[in-house]
Amino acid sequence: MSRNSFLAVFNQRAALLIFLIGKLLRFFFFFAFIILLLKGTKSLAGYNLNQTLLFFLTFNLIDTLSQFLFREVYRFRPLVVSGGFDLVLSKPVNALFRSLMGGADVIDLITIIPLSIATFYIAYLLNPSALQSIYYLALLINGLVIASAFHIFVLGMGIVTLEIDHTIMIYRDLTALGRFPIDIYKEPLRGIITFLIPIGIMLAFPAKAIMGLITPAGVIWSIVFGGLLLSLSFKFWKFALKKYTSASS
Amino acid sequence: MKKYFQIFKISFQQEFSYRLNFIMWRVRNVLQIILTFFLWSSVFKNPQTEVFGYNQGKILTYVFGILLLRAIVFSARAVDVAGEISNGNITNFLLKPVSYFKYWATRDIASKVLNLVFSVFEITILFLILKPNLFLQTNLITLFAVLISLIFAIVLFFCLLFITNISAFWMPENGWAAQFLFIGIITDFLSGGVFPLDVLPFTLQRALYSTPFPYLLFFPLQVYLGKITGLEIVRGLVTSGAWVFILFVILKFIWARGLRRYSAEGR
Amino acid sequence: MDRAIVVDRLVKNFEVTQKEKGLRGSIKSVFSPKKQTVHALRGISFAIQPGELVGFIGPNGAGKTTTLKILSGLLYPTSGFVQVLEHDPWEKKSEFLKQISLVMGQKNQLWWDLPAIETFELNKEIYEIPRRDYEKNLEELVTLLGVGKLLKTQVRRLSLGQRMRMELVAALLHKPKALFLDEPTIGLDLIGQQKVRDFIYEYNRKNNATVILTSHNMDDLTNLARRVIVIDDGRILFDGALEELTGRFAKEKIIKISLSKEVDVKAIGQIGEVKHVLFPEVILSVPRSVVAVAAAEILQNFPVDDLTIEEVPIEEIIKKVFKGELTK
Repeated sequence: MSRNSFLAVFNQRAALLIFLIGKLLRFFFFFAFIILLLKGTKSLAGYNLNQTLLFFLTFNLIDTLSQFLFREVYRFRPLVVSGGFDLVLSKPVNALFRSLMGGADVIDLITIIPLSIATFYIAYLLNPSALQSIYYLALLINGLVIASAFHIFVLGMGIVTLEIDHTIMIYRDLTALGRFPIDIYKEPLRGIITFLIPIGIMLAFPAKAIMGLITPAGVIWSIVFGGLLLSLSFKFWKFALKKYTSASS
Repeated sequence: MKKYFQIFKISFQQEFSYRLNFIMWRVRNVLQIILTFFLWSSVFKNPQTEVFGYNQGKILTYVFGILLLRAIVFSARAVDVAGEISNGNITNFLLKPVSYFKYWATRDIASKVLNLVFSVFEITILFLILKPNLFLQTNLITLFAVLISLIFAIVLFFCLLFITNISAFWMPENGWAAQFLFIGIITDFLSGGVFPLDVLPFTLQRALYSTPFPYLLFFPLQVYLGKITGLEIVRGLVTSGAWVFILFVILKFIWARGLRRYSAEGR
Repeated sequence: MDRAIVVDRLVKNFEVTQKEKGLRGSIKSVFSPKKQTVHALRGISFAIQPGELVGFIGPNGAGKTTTLKILSGLLYPTSGFVQVLEHDPWEKKSEFLKQISLVMGQKNQLWWDLPAIETFELNKEIYEIPRRDYEKNLEELVTLLGVGKLLKTQVRRLSLGQRMRMELVAALLHKPKALFLDEPTIGLDLIGQQKVRDFIYEYNRKNNATVILTSHNMDDLTNLARRVIVIDDGRILFDGALEELTGRFAKEKIIKISLSKEVDVKAIGQIGEVKHVLFPEVILSVPRSVVAVAAAEILQNFPVDDLTIEEVPIEEIIKKVFKGELTK
């Protein structure tokens, strides 16, 4: 399925290339900013340069990975509007899988690989224990689980309301708050984005875990939370699907 | 003149019909400010902190100032030009007795007015919630200099945006990608829209000052905050003005070439 | 002004970059673009008097739209002379633009999310139409096109036919002296087409406006244009009254027979090309030069009740023109 999306016209590729350069530049700008900022202030919300960088890199890793996996979600609205979604429903491939992950683009791997290397290197520089490293990986995957839950929810919204573009934009702007350690936010905002709109659990907890700031119980609870969120999103998807198929076109 | 007032009016009405899009745009702006605000609040938690030449009051004023200035300088409808060129609708305009530049400049102003109103409202709300101590400039001459620099900023951005959009004459399918890269990312960062350019090493800042970008947001704000004074202000305004002239000439030139190409390909 | 539009030996060439298929071809086209010259117009000449209604017909790619674009100033000629309403269109002087209007099917000028009346008000200012004239013109156009009730509806909620009529209002508010229409009835249903046609006819008659329209729709041409210009491959094949078109191009005539008894159709097929057989009717086409002889032969050898000789229907001729099957 992803091979089909690989066969693209050059122009589409040129656009993708420009997007890639844009994203790389943005990453580089923020990266440089963090270094320069911490050169001047020595600590941000109690974290030093490497720690702040880890938060930043983890954010980028999860964000890039979920964009890579769920690129198809960005094409969902035209699919529903044009009626193409009905076609998807009629095919033997699971409609959710197709709408969620049908559009993975190999070009994203160009960024993911060096990004992963950089992230793990910085993490290594923090001298974590083996257990902490395991927590990091577990919560990283958990972060992706939460991201999937978000995207499935967005898809469900798309079917029910057709208002998908705005929902995606809100999601992206909210997750952007996780670029920096969420400790910078004051309560009650911090509480809201940690638990209610679980950006904190998704983006900040992996790095916190590797720094030993999360208890083992906390890790387990986060994973349970992620699983719960995912099953909730599945339920919502089923509900949305039922609504869609019972309404006449 | 009545022409342009009518264009202003209809453009204003058009923005209202895209209510949801507009609200989303404002929400995004506010979310960005929230991130930056808390970031700097955290750095300047101790009100005595002085770093990068800022104290707490000035840096938070910078953050709020960005919200306001983005509405004034960056709000534009000319982002649609690339699309009009791609789908050929520009043909209709070429046949009307009205200047394409002036038409879009008027539409941009309509957008800026609307965004300005909303940003003032947002700033007020944020101010009441977050209660930062802001820095208020009172020197009239300084304020006047800020005004001049803003006018230059508006024209500069118009030229940059328009030139980027006209690239659609040569690559009709990708005009919007160029816009994302050049305006959305490069211009946004290099104008001080994401973080103040003071954090950069001095040599880099100096180099940036010979480009048009800092004059869009950073320079006006620095003048307001009193971090640039006296002769520096004059030098900045002169450079800014020079860029206005240069970009305008480039714009006219590329426009003529683009139009010729559009006619040659007979779209 | 004795001639509204003058075109003399107009040549228009396009440089088109050739792009090969696939990724490699696209990369090649960036570094070493292969250019090919398309000869859209190969030296055409014609003149149109004020108030004439002329139809341009020809197959796809013949040069119809290119001609209209040159006449309105969008494209510049490669060589030759063009004058519209005593102006050089390419200069696009304000006073020239205020006197012309180009309406193209897919390129809308109406603002999508607002009621059409807003675009009209905008055009009023852009064309600097005095309020009195504006209201009079608006009233006239709206009545003629029957869109009075739709003025305050958002354009995106209108049907294609309604939108097309609104576009016509927007295009004519400034009472242009020259009106260029590119495929005005495309995509409309039969009633919609008729409405547009009637409107163009009325507008031309009332305002003595010079109208050129291009179309693929034969009904547009047979019911509207009194003079047609046939273009194919950038050359004018015919310029004159519609009726003359038949005489010039139809190399055949039609013989309609009504038989009294069943006969072997193959035998009739020896005399001419059988176009249609449904007892008792047989329709043949026969070369012009021998039609009298053929008719006589049929009357002699077959049990004929009735026989008529007719011209090939204009629709047939025009169909052939579109397919590029007609040469001088």
